Amino acid sequence: MANIAAQRIRREFKEVIKSEEVAKCAIKVELLNDSYTELKGEITGPPDTAYEGGVFVLEIKVPETYPFNPPKVRFITKIWHPNISSVTGAICLDILKDQWAAAMTLRTVLLSLQALLSAAEPDDPQDAVVAKQFKENIEMFQMTARHWTNVYAGGPHVNKECDDKIKRLVDMGVEEHQARVALSSYNWDIERATEQIFS
Amino acid sequence: MLQFLSFSKKKIGNSLSIYIKTNTGNTLSVDLDPTWDIKNVKELVAPQLGLDPGEVKIIFAGKELGDSITISECDLGQQSTLHAIKITKKPPPVSPLIEESDEGKPLCETLNDRSFSNDDTQPPSGTKVHFFVYCPTCKGLKNGKLRVRCHFCKSGAFTVHADPQNWTDVLEPKQITGLCENGAEFCADILDNREPTFADFYFKCSEHTSLGEDDEAVPLYLIRPNLKDVPCLACADVNDLVFVFPCEGGHVTCLDCFRQYCSTRLRERQFWQHPEFGYTLACPAGCPDSFIKEIHHFRLLSENQYVQYQRFATEEFVLRSGGVLCPQPGCGMGILADPECTKITCISGCGYVFCRLCLQGYHIGECHISEDVNSTNNADCSYNVDPARAAEARWDEASKVAIKVLTKPCPKCRTPTERDGGCMHMVCTRAGCEYHWCWVCQTAWTRDCMGSHWFG
Repeated sequence: MANIAAQRIRREFKEVIKSEEVAKCAIKVELLNDSYTELKGEITGPPDTAYEGGVFVLEIKVPETYPFNPPKVRFITKIWHPNISSVTGAICLDILKDQWAAAMTLRTVLLSLQALLSAAEPDDPQDAVVAKQFKENIEMFQMTARHWTNVYAGGPHVNKECDDKIKRLVDMGVEEHQARVALSSYNWDIERATEQIFS
Repeated sequence: MLQFLSFSKKKIGNSLSIYIKTNTGNTLSVDLDPTWDIKNVKELVAPQLGLDPGEVKIIFAGKELGDSITISECDLGQQSTLHAIKITKKPPPVSPLIEESDEGKPLCETLNDRSFSNDDTQPPSGTKVHFFVYCPTCKGLKNGKLRVRCHFCKSGAFTVHADPQNWTDVLEPKQITGLCENGAEFCADILDNREPTFADFYFKCSEHTSLGEDDEAVPLYLIRPNLKDVPCLACADVNDLVFVFPCEGGHVTCLDCFRQYCSTRLRERQFWQHPEFGYTLACPAGCPDSFIKEIHHFRLLSENQYVQYQRFATEEFVLRSGGVLCPQPGCGMGILADPECTKITCISGCGYVFCRLCLQGYHIGECHISEDVNSTNNADCSYNVDPARAAEARWDEASKVAIKVLTKPCPKCRTPTERDGGCMHMVCTRAGCEYHWCWVCQTAWTRDCMGSHWFG
């Protein structure tokens, strides 16, 4: 029974490998086991966005009932985005839930995720804190997202100011990621972030 | 009224045993050699009717058969019925049309080409394509044969004015006109000559000996030969037989993937209770207006799965109609009770009396969930068992506890729901409910939930 899923993924895997997006290095998949149930996906941050230059790793789990049910996808690479949980990497995208259709493929999923990076939907957020910042202070959001891309996804834009603030908290004994989350959540206001961490 | 005349004749190898019905109400049983033509048949039959061979016409599956057609060309099965009619006027008003178009060949031959409906693709000539049916006698997917009878008197002595061109012509009533030859005055009386008679198409299983003219099969018209080599939507293989979904694009899956699709949806209880068609599914590509109308297609499921399908369909119907299902393990009887009434008795089932709101045994006053797992089954034992141990070791109780601990009911339809990860935003998976609710508040999902406890 699970043959259908494996057979289908095998074909889709080839489709991705041969696709022009792979040729342009925009998307990538790797098999993690022989049974085609777990894959590693990669998408690059789209140009002219805060994610540009970053490489984002995805965990893809294929259910036995694929393609009649969607694959389970989440971000392994930490990312600051209104529709992606900054904590778990869970993705809020309709096609990965009730709008999934059997005609969709790994390739269309990866391209949809890449599209999600260029066009966030803050009205349907997975991460309320990020969504709030996105709507109220887009500059701050862009800066934060670019900083996360630099730190976690290998993006080129180093932000000295952010790094310094994090270092100050780390010097106080705060774990680095926790410090980054607190500062990001409070628009890099170091006093409020400190207050939140030590309250 | 029916009179069977046995026919003595030489036995021929692989002969077909055929009934010939006349419009005088007689039925002859004859053995025909497949190499014979219709002229031979007329010569055989006419004397029995006291007629010349030239005065008889043979009707089968909506067509008058031409003299030169051989029996083997007619797609006759054992115990099929031919109709022998005395020609009243010459020539009959409709026969020129038929003769010039397809030389009196039987209907099934000419419709074969159209089993891929609504498009103009013709199969390679010489391929013999059958229809597919669910046969209640053989209990399964079988090849079928298209047959025709009079819409009004149901007589098979009927000729069509035109071949059906597509599935609409076949499945919808009153699409194709024809001439009823069953003692014309009979249908003329019904119709009073005000409207033409109509063909009524039906199907027979071609894999078992016909049990008579009422031995019908259900057309599984979404199953078609894959004449255009369309790859399956799910596995991308090209198979000989495909299931064509009734969506605009006509998405195609192979039959294995169709079964997989149905069993996946069945297991998740994601069939949809359609007000007109019943408990059904739509195209897996998510196309609008693509529900399967003929639910006999779900007969492709295994016997066990089909039983489950029927049970879910019934339960869903009861719930949709405002009813409740008896909560007693192993019962599950559907009960339609007065909506005001909270005390429900499972009258035609196990007799359990329960509260509609909490689905526990009936009680007076507010519902409260009993924490006492020792309350049931106090039958005498001749040996001693630690009651706490015994309570832990009970399967049903363990399930109950598991359900209580791991699930929360959907605030709208009370379906126990397990959250196996992700966020607190729940969408009820019961088809037709699909309520958005919050795992923490156990009420409708709001922006406040999003803001304060999206991840708990």
